Amino acid sequence: MLLWQRNGPGQMRRIVSAALFMMLAGCNDDGSAQKASQPLDELRITRVAGGEPERGRRIIAAYECGVCHVIPGVQGAHGIVGPPLTGFGRRQFIGGVVPNEPSLLVRWVQDAPSIAPHTGMPDLGLSDEEARHVAAYLYTLR
Amino acid sequence: MSDATFQGGIADTRVRQEGGPVRLPNPAPRPRGELEELKRVWEQPKGIHFISAVNNNYVGVWYVGTAFLFFVLAGILALIMRTQLAQPELRLVGHELYNQLFTMHGTIMMFLFAVPMVEALSVFLLPNMQAARDLPFPRLSAYAFWAYFFGGLAFFTSLFFGLAPNGGWFMYPPLTSYIYSPGINADFWLLGIGFIEISAIAGAIEIIVGVLKTRAPGQSLDKLPVYSWAMLVFALMVIVAFPAIIAATLLLELERAFHWPFFIAEKGGDPLLWQHLFWFFGHPEVYVIFLPAAGMVSMIVPTMAQTPLAGYRLVVLAVIGTGFLSFGLWVHHMFTTGLPQLSLSFFSAASMAVSIPTGIQVFAWIATIASGKLQNKTPTYFILGFLFIFVLGGLTGVMVAMVPFDWQAHDTYFIVAHFHYVLIGGMVFPMFAAFYYWAPTASQRPLSETLGKWAFWLIFIGVNVTFFTMHITGLMGMPRRTYTYLAEMGWGTFNLISTLGAYMIGAGVLIFLIDLAKNFRPYQGDLGNVWNAGTLEWLPSGNYQTRSIPIITSREPLWDQPSLANHVEAGRYYLPGAPTRGRETIVTSPIDARAQYVLQIPGPSWRTVFAAFFTASFFIGLTIKLYIPAFICGILAVVCVIWWLWDTDPGPAEVGDVDIGGGLRLPTYVTGSMNHSWWAMIILMMVTGMVFSCIVFSYLFLWTVNPRIWPTSAAALPSIWWPVGAGALLVASSLLVWLAGRRLSQVPERSAWLTRIALLVAIPLLIGSVALEVFGQLETGLRPSESGYGAVVYSLASYQGFVVAVLAIMGLYTVVRSLAGRLNRVRRSTFDNTQLFWHYGVAQGLVALLIVHAFPRLLG
Amino acid sequence: MWIQSTMVTYGPHAAIIETLSWVMIIGAALIFLLVMGLATLAILAPARMRGWMTGRKFIIGLGIIFPVVTLTALLTWGLSISRVLVTGEPAVLRVEVIGERWWWRVHYVDAEGAVRLVSANEIKVPTGRPIEFVLKTQDVIHSFWVPSLAGKLDMIPGRVNVTRFSAERPGIYRGQCAEYCGAQHALMAFYVIALPPDEFEAWYAREAIPPAEPVIPLLVRGKTLFLENGCGACHTIRGTSAAGLVGPDLTYVGGRRSIAAGTYPTNIGTLAGWVSSSQHLKPDNLMPSFGNLQGEELRAIAAYLESLK
Repeated sequence: MLLWQRNGPGQMRRIVSAALFMMLAGCNDDGSAQKASQPLDELRITRVAGGEPERGRRIIAAYECGVCHVIPGVQGAHGIVGPPLTGFGRRQFIGGVVPNEPSLLVRWVQDAPSIAPHTGMPDLGLSDEEARHVAAYLYTLR
Repeated sequence: MSDATFQGGIADTRVRQEGGPVRLPNPAPRPRGELEELKRVWEQPKGIHFISAVNNNYVGVWYVGTAFLFFVLAGILALIMRTQLAQPELRLVGHELYNQLFTMHGTIMMFLFAVPMVEALSVFLLPNMQAARDLPFPRLSAYAFWAYFFGGLAFFTSLFFGLAPNGGWFMYPPLTSYIYSPGINADFWLLGIGFIEISAIAGAIEIIVGVLKTRAPGQSLDKLPVYSWAMLVFALMVIVAFPAIIAATLLLELERAFHWPFFIAEKGGDPLLWQHLFWFFGHPEVYVIFLPAAGMVSMIVPTMAQTPLAGYRLVVLAVIGTGFLSFGLWVHHMFTTGLPQLSLSFFSAASMAVSIPTGIQVFAWIATIASGKLQNKTPTYFILGFLFIFVLGGLTGVMVAMVPFDWQAHDTYFIVAHFHYVLIGGMVFPMFAAFYYWAPTASQRPLSETLGKWAFWLIFIGVNVTFFTMHITGLMGMPRRTYTYLAEMGWGTFNLISTLGAYMIGAGVLIFLIDLAKNFRPYQGDLGNVWNAGTLEWLPSGNYQTRSIPIITSREPLWDQPSLANHVEAGRYYLPGAPTRGRETIVTSPIDARAQYVLQIPGPSWRTVFAAFFTASFFIGLTIKLYIPAFICGILAVVCVIWWLWDTDPGPAEVGDVDIGGGLRLPTYVTGSMNHSWWAMIILMMVTGMVFSCIVFSYLFLWTVNPRIWPTSAAALPSIWWPVGAGALLVASSLLVWLAGRRLSQVPERSAWLTRIALLVAIPLLIGSVALEVFGQLETGLRPSESGYGAVVYSLASYQGFVVAVLAIMGLYTVVRSLAGRLNRVRRSTFDNTQLFWHYGVAQGLVALLIVHAFPRLLG
Repeated sequence: MWIQSTMVTYGPHAAIIETLSWVMIIGAALIFLLVMGLATLAILAPARMRGWMTGRKFIIGLGIIFPVVTLTALLTWGLSISRVLVTGEPAVLRVEVIGERWWWRVHYVDAEGAVRLVSANEIKVPTGRPIEFVLKTQDVIHSFWVPSLAGKLDMIPGRVNVTRFSAERPGIYRGQCAEYCGAQHALMAFYVIALPPDEFEAWYAREAIPPAEPVIPLLVRGKTLFLENGCGACHTIRGTSAAGLVGPDLTYVGGRRSIAAGTYPTNIGTLAGWVSSSQHLKPDNLMPSFGNLQGEELRAIAAYLESLK
C-alpha cells in the first residue's frame, strides 16, 4: 500500500506487468527473444484484417481527425476536443466505453454514437474499408 | 571675421606632378619627447573610465561588436522561425510569438544590424583611410553608439516580455494602429526605431563631414578611396531617406496615442500614405546597406588582386548614380496596391535601370581581378561568394521589377529569397570579407585562414540551400509571414531543406565566433600591412592613427610611394606631434583637400554616455507609459548634451596658430563655411527640412485622396490675421537674431548685453508665432482627432513647435555661453550655428503658414 | 498538390505571367552563367587570355550597353503583354470580395451593385468567362490572390480595387491572403471553384433559394440548438431567424469545400471540432469555442450545418 501511494498507479502497473513478464519469460520454452520482449499487456490482438496502416494515416489526414485529436504521425493533428490518441494501441478502452478490440474500433470510427450515445464524436460516414485502414493505423500507435 | 582672413595662410598642398616625388615637410629628425607627448594626448582612459573613450578606434570596435551581436541575435530568431516551418502545421511556437519573431528579425537585421554595422565599420575605417587622427565629432559618434547600444538592447528585451512588435517590419497601418494593435508592442517599434534612426542620422552627419573635411592633404576627390565615396553617398542617402521614416513613425505614434487619423480611411486618412513614406525610406535603405559594402569590396578586390581598381571613375559614378536612382523606385514595393498602370510602368523601368550602375561595379571588379592575380585568402573567398550570391539576387531583382511577375511573386517566399540573396550577398559577405581583411589593422593576431574558410563554405552553401529553395517555395504559392502552412500544400520538403540550410549558416557563424574568440585581440597594436595593400589604413598607427599625416599624390599611396610608411612613422610629414597639447586633426578643403586649419577635438568623456543613457531612457519611458520618469530622463538628457557641448567650441588654442611642418602655419580655430560644425549644421538643417517636407507631402497627399474634407471657403479657415500675425513674429525674431549677430561682430568689441537681450526677446516671439497658429486653428473648431485634415494641420504646427523648442534651448544656451565669457567676436561658432538654425526655423514656419493658409484659399 | 502554384496555371492571366516567368528565369540563368563564367575566366585563365577583360571597354560594354539592351527589350515586351492583363473583354459576372480578419466575405452583385447572393471563403465561377472581382476590406489591408488564375491585388481600407480574370477549365483553385493582416494571416485562404457555365447557372439558381427545412430529428434538433445558442447573432442562414453579419454566411456551409477560411475540409467531424474548439484551432479569431455543449448537442449542430448543401 505504501508502495502504491508513493509511486502512483502508473508505476504500480508497470511493476505488475514487469513481474508478469518475468513469469511469462520464465516459462517460455520457445525462448525466442522477439516474443520474450513483448510485455503481456501488449499481446492483445491489435491487427485489423484488411487494414493498411499507411492508407489509414492518409485517410485520417484527409478527414482532418486532428481537428479534435492529437494523433502522432499525422501533421497538424493537435486537437483538444477528444482524447489524444497517443499510445492508442495500448489503450484498454475506446472512448472510455467499450474494450479496445478491432471490431469495435472499426465500428467506433465509423459511427461512434451507435456505441456511446452521449459521445461528442459524430458519425463520420467512413466506408467499411476506410474504417479498417484507420483502425489499423491507430493500432500502430504505441 | 570672414573666411578670407585665413586664405593667405593656407599653403597650396595640391600636388603639382601626379605621383611625382613629394618634398617632405619635416625632413629633420624630430625632437625628443614629441612622440611621447602625442601618445600622452591620445592615451585611453584606464579602468572603468575605459567606457568614456570617444576615439574612433575604440568606439569603432565596440560599435562593430554590438552590431554583430544583433546579427547573431536576429539570426537566432530566424533559426527559431525556420524550425517552426520545418514541417507543416508544427506547433513549436504559436502565432503570437512567431509574428513577433519575424517582425523582430526583420527590424533588427535592418535597423540594429545592417545600418549600424556599415556605420560602425566606417567609424573604424574612415579616419584610417584618410589619415585623419579621428572623426571630426568624436563625442557625437560615441553618443550615437551608446544611444544605439542602450536603445537597441532595451528594444530587444521586449521579446522576453511578450511585448515585442508584431506588425511586420514595415508596420502597415491600419493593422499597426490603435484599433488593431491596442497593446504597446507597436509603440516599441515606433519609439524604439524612431530613436535609433536619430542615432543613425547622427552617424551620417559625422561621416559626411568626416569624408569632406578630414582628409590627408592632397587626397583630393579624384584620389579618394572608393570606400570614402561610398560612405559619402551612403550618408547623404541617410540624410534624405531616414527623415521619411522619422516623419512616418511620428505620425503613426500621434495616431496611436492621440487618435489623430492620418491613416484611417473613414476619417479622411489613407493607409497608403504610410506606404509611400515608409518605402521612400525603405527602398533607399537597401542601397544604404549595399553601397558601403560595395565600397569595401572595391577596396578589398584591388589588394587581393594586387592591382589598382579598374574603372575607378566609372565605379564612383555608379555609386553616385545608385544613390540618385534609389529614390525613384519606392513604388515597386506597392505594385499590388492598385496604382495606375502608367505609374507602375515608370517605376518598373526605374527599378530595372538601377541594375545598370550595379552592373558597372560588378564588371569593374571582374576586370580588376582579370588584370591582377587573385590571392588564395579568406577575404577572396568571401568576395567571390559575394559576387555569386549578389549577382543572383540582382537578377531576381530584375524579375520582380517586372510588374506582372511581381503581381505573382509579391509577398511570397520568392521575395524572401530575393532580398536575402541581395542583402546577404550584398552586405553580409562583404562584411565577413572586411572582417578577415581588416582584422590585422585592429588586432595583434590575424583571424585564422582555416577557420575562415570553414566558416565561408558553411555560410555559402547554407545560404544557397536555404534561400535558393525559397524561390521555388514562393513560386509554388507560399506567402511570407505565415506562421504555419497546411500539409496538403506540398511545401513541406522545400521548407525542410531551407531549415537545414539555415542551420548550416548558423554553424558557419558559430565557427567565425570561435575564430574571433581565439584570435581577435584588439587594442594591443596591429600587424602592419599584411596583404601589401595600397591605401592609408595600412600605415603604421597608434591610437593617434599615424605619427605624421602624409601628403597624398595618388589613390594607392603605399604602392606608389614605397618609403611612405617610414617617413610617416619618422614624423617627416605634417603634424608630427600635438602642438596644441590636445587632440587635434587637420581639416582640409572638401574638393582638393588643402589643409585649412588644425581642429582641436575633444577627448574621453562620460557626458556622452550619460546623455545617451538618458535619451534612451526617455524613449523607453514613453513607450512603457512611465511618463514622469521619462520626462525626468528627457530633461537629464538635454542637460547632459549641453554639458558635453560646453567644451566643444574652444576658441583658438592658447599657442595661437601652429606650425604643422614645412613652414605651413595653420590657425587652430575658424568660423563660417570653413568650420566643420558649420557643415554639420547645414546637414542637420537638411534633415529637419526633410522631416518637414514629409509632413508637407502628407498634407498634399491626403488632399489628393480626400479633397472633400478640406475647407472649401475662407470662412472655414482661421481669419487671415492669425497667420499674418504669426508670420510677423517669425520675421521679427529672425531680425533680432541678425541684429544680435551684427552686434557680436562689431570691431572694436562692444558690450555683449545687446546681443543677449536680442536673443532673449527673439525666443518668446517664436513661441508666440506657434501659439497664434494653434489658437487660430482652435478657434475655427477644428480638432486634430476629427479628420485627416485636422490631424495634418496640427502636425505641421506641432513640428514647428518642436523646432521652436529646440531653438529656445539653443538661444538660451548661447546667452549662457555669452554670460560665461565663452562667446565673443572670434570664438563664435555657437552663435553662428544658432543663427543658422534660427533662420531655418523661421523659414520653415513661414512655409508651413503658407501651406496651411494659402493653399486652401487658392483652391477656393 | 500544386493547387496554389504560380507555375501550374489554369487561366489566361496566370498563363501569360507564367510565360513571362519562364522567359525571365531562363534569361536570368543564362546571364548568371555568363557573369560567373567571366569571373572564373578572370581568376583562372592564363594572363594572355584575360587581357581583353581588363579595360574600360569591357566594363562599359557589359556593365552599361548589355543591360541597357536586354532590359529595354524585356521591358518593352513585358509591358506589351501585360497590357492584355489590364484591359480584356467585359466581365459577365461581378463578385465583390471583402477581406475580413481572417476570412473572405463573398457577394455576387448585379450590374447595379446590389447583392444577389452571399457566400464566404469560396467563390464559384463559370469557366471561360471573365469575372470581375471588386475588392474591399472590412478592417486592415489584405491581398486577394489565386496564383493559378491571376496575380494578386490588395484590399485597402477606403479604396476599391477591381481585377478581372477567368478560369479556363473546371477545377478547384486555392487562394490565400498575401498581405500580412495579423494573428491568423497564415490561415486565411479560400477556394475558387470553376464550373462549366451550365453547372454554374444551376448552382447559382439553387443557391438563391433558402435551404429546405430539416426533417430528420437530429437535424431538427441541430437547427434548434444553433438558434438557441445564439449562433445567429453572428451568422446568417437564409430562411431562418439567424441573420448575423459578423461572421461568415452559413446558408450553404455544408456545400463548401472548406471551413475556417480554407483551413479544414468541410465534414461533420471538422464542423464539430471547430464549433467546440475554434479558439484552439485558429486563436484570436472572433468565434468563441463552444465548450458548453453536450456531446449529442455538438453532434446535432455539426450534422445540421453539414446538411446545409
